[in-house]
Amino acid sequence: MTFLRTALGAALLASTVGIGAAGAQPAADTLRVRLNADIRSTDPGVNRDANSDAVVMHMVEGLVAFREDTSVGPMLAESVTVAPDGLAYTFRLRDGVRFHNGAPLTAEDVAFAWKRYMDPATQWRCLPEFDGRGASKVTAVETPDARTIVFRLERPAALFLTSMARVDCGGSGIWHRASLNADGTWKEPVGTGPFRLAEWRRGQFVELAKTETYAARSEARTGHTGNKTPLVGKVRFVIVPDAAAAKAALLAGNLDVITDVSANDVKELSARNDVAIESASTMDLQAILFQTNDPLLKDARIRRAIALTLDVAEIVGTVSEGRSKPNRSPIPPPSSFHTAAHQTVPPANVEQARRLLAEAGYRGEAIKLVTTQRYPALFDIAVMAQAMAQRAGIKIDLEVIDWAAQLDRYTKGDYQSMVFTYSARLDPSLSFDMFTGPKATEPRKAWDNPEVQTLLRESFQTVDRTRRQAIYDDLVKRLMDEVPMVALYSSVDTSAVRRNVAGYAGWALGQPRLWGVSFRN
Amino acid sequence: MIGYVLRRLLWALPTLVLVGVAVFVLVRLIPGDPVQVMLGDAASPEQVADMRAAYGLDRPIAVQFWLWAERIVDGDLGRALTNGQPVAALVWERFLTSAGIVLSAVALAVAIAVPAGTFAAWRQGSLADLAVVAGATLLLSIPSFWLGLMLLLVFGLQLAWLPVVGYVTLSEDLWAGLSFLVLPVITLTLTEAGVLTRMARSSAIEVMRLDYVTHARAKGLPEARVLARHVLPNAFGPTWTLVGLVLGNLLGGIAVLETVFTIPGLGRLLVDAIFNRDYPVIQGCLLLTAGIYVVVNLVVDLCYPLFDPRVSAQ
Repeated sequence: MTFLRTALGAALLASTVGIGAAGAQPAADTLRVRLNADIRSTDPGVNRDANSDAVVMHMVEGLVAFREDTSVGPMLAESVTVAPDGLAYTFRLRDGVRFHNGAPLTAEDVAFAWKRYMDPATQWRCLPEFDGRGASKVTAVETPDARTIVFRLERPAALFLTSMARVDCGGSGIWHRASLNADGTWKEPVGTGPFRLAEWRRGQFVELAKTETYAARSEARTGHTGNKTPLVGKVRFVIVPDAAAAKAALLAGNLDVITDVSANDVKELSARNDVAIESASTMDLQAILFQTNDPLLKDARIRRAIALTLDVAEIVGTVSEGRSKPNRSPIPPPSSFHTAAHQTVPPANVEQARRLLAEAGYRGEAIKLVTTQRYPALFDIAVMAQAMAQRAGIKIDLEVIDWAAQLDRYTKGDYQSMVFTYSARLDPSLSFDMFTGPKATEPRKAWDNPEVQTLLRESFQTVDRTRRQAIYDDLVKRLMDEVPMVALYSSVDTSAVRRNVAGYAGWALGQPRLWGVSFRN
Repeated sequence: MIGYVLRRLLWALPTLVLVGVAVFVLVRLIPGDPVQVMLGDAASPEQVADMRAAYGLDRPIAVQFWLWAERIVDGDLGRALTNGQPVAALVWERFLTSAGIVLSAVALAVAIAVPAGTFAAWRQGSLADLAVVAGATLLLSIPSFWLGLMLLLVFGLQLAWLPVVGYVTLSEDLWAGLSFLVLPVITLTLTEAGVLTRMARSSAIEVMRLDYVTHARAKGLPEARVLARHVLPNAFGPTWTLVGLVLGNLLGGIAVLETVFTIPGLGRLLVDAIFNRDYPVIQGCLLLTAGIYVVVNLVVDLCYPLFDPRVSAQ
């Protein structure tokens, strides 16, 4: 009994002291949203992942932001003027915008935040997009008056505003200098967003509180811009790694919104009276990549043959439970550049595949297809592709590894073939750029064709929409011919929302937006 | 006694050093890169290289190990790559959370298993014995995550008696804290009670066959006294050893349960760290786990003479 007393005492002590990591009960007007993992930091575009971006974008805002249709519109800026030569972007700041600490937003604040972004020591993810290595090179940032800021570029850049708005760049969010510690390191975001950071209990939740003095735009809510008025007192992102537990919590009323609902759960949740389903096509891409340097797969006929064995419609219908549309173009359907030239999905043709294989002298050599079970769709695609290829006598061996190992292999180009998921790219040039480039310097790139790279470079620089569309149409035609990869589909992001929540809507970025969301009485 | 404890602790040092070296090397042998996981699929090779340099991951492994070992001597386990938190504080905080659940569950499991096992041994071959053995085998066979999910569905979802997700400490809100602990503790108690009951039963059966138990009965002692004074203390030794092993095992991580019940414990921290290839956190968790094994085994050994006077610490 002594042991029992001691053990119980120790347990009680541990539970009591444990525990600076405790979590308080949320207040009644708190909207509770599931995150499947903790965020990495609150520093916009620095040490981030998708969850970190989703949370941070509620606290900071950039000069521009993505609209619902993934075009770029002003956010903190009242207007954006592009010089006729494309070498200067002038932003006029909105009047009356204040930071969470009450300080008014000025051009100096923008320049201050920008200076930190451009400092390599910050390790801003998007630095290469602005320092000349990527989309643009900013040569100067000028503040002619308190509400005007001018960015000067070395060369015209079609993607300058798009890069600024990118969510993985933290939307190039503007924050007050009070966000930094005295030594210049990041403390917490003091931004202009509809919510401010209230509490982050690591491993448990991130709680945001409504910005009482939020200065909303007048136009309707759209994407990450428009009217972003907060309608609930608090938002709590609750970390629930297990999908089954998250579903149970939603049904029990312990969560109000869960994102990333699996295809299997949608049917069950749709049938309930207390839950509504919100779906939206996203801009990510599921694809099968081929290593074109591989002794076997360097022959385009074999790659084409594999593509011909795939019944893409059946694969996509099965893995997405019929919610996603097959798409053989890297440009996702929500994009306005996804025109007729990008909507063709060739049917499977096993006979033609066999002829191509015979021409190429394929003798049943095994082809390794790397996949992972971290994302069930990727594994299912691999299994179906294996079975479909078998119909033409192509032997595919699956290699199942964990996601971190797969990312490593992808980066090094260390694969024969691989089922991969690309995160959302919100511009067609970026959609092609994600797999196009010289393998010598970027082994992760699947498509190494100098002509294609020249065309793609042009698309990054020209602002003429018609010319850009023509380039993308040409690229997708070449892609179908050379088959360095087989695009399959962009996923549909599905959220389940309790019926007492009003105003929640999914969108192309697949991340929750909780401004404009309220509780029904 | 003090000399014995010191000797045991000194012997633990080489064990921990070996564990440290093995953990450091093995973690780096796993394919995957923390920076790559952090930056995702859109990162350029320059970005990856820059960040690797910033975290010192571009240095030779021997240099990285030396720097890590140097810091450990100063009691610093480094900082998490994912969020920059000090690893020592992070690991300790998560350990305390897990320890609260594990110690409560094991204490309850012992409280159930020892009387049940002894009773079954006393009634060996009867229907009651069969029921206890069958119940213990059933508990032993149920995966803890499944049992946890079932309890969540029944008590959280259907009956709505307990919250499904979240965590509050007892110090912050006693009743709310207890409500979050009930289901994980019950799940762990039930799954561990099975194995402990079987051990308690077989130990008690063995002791009951010994001459001094027959002698005690022949003296005319009441059966309850025979069990309480002569059987239970002598049969508890093997169960106590098993309790030590179970504790060491569970304190090292109950990742699956912590994931199901959204408990921010050590096991979940370790699993997340492995997914993210957060080397300092993985190393910190595994070092602590090794340390726990050493300490728990030492405590078990030191307590053994309390249950079996034939064994002395010497």
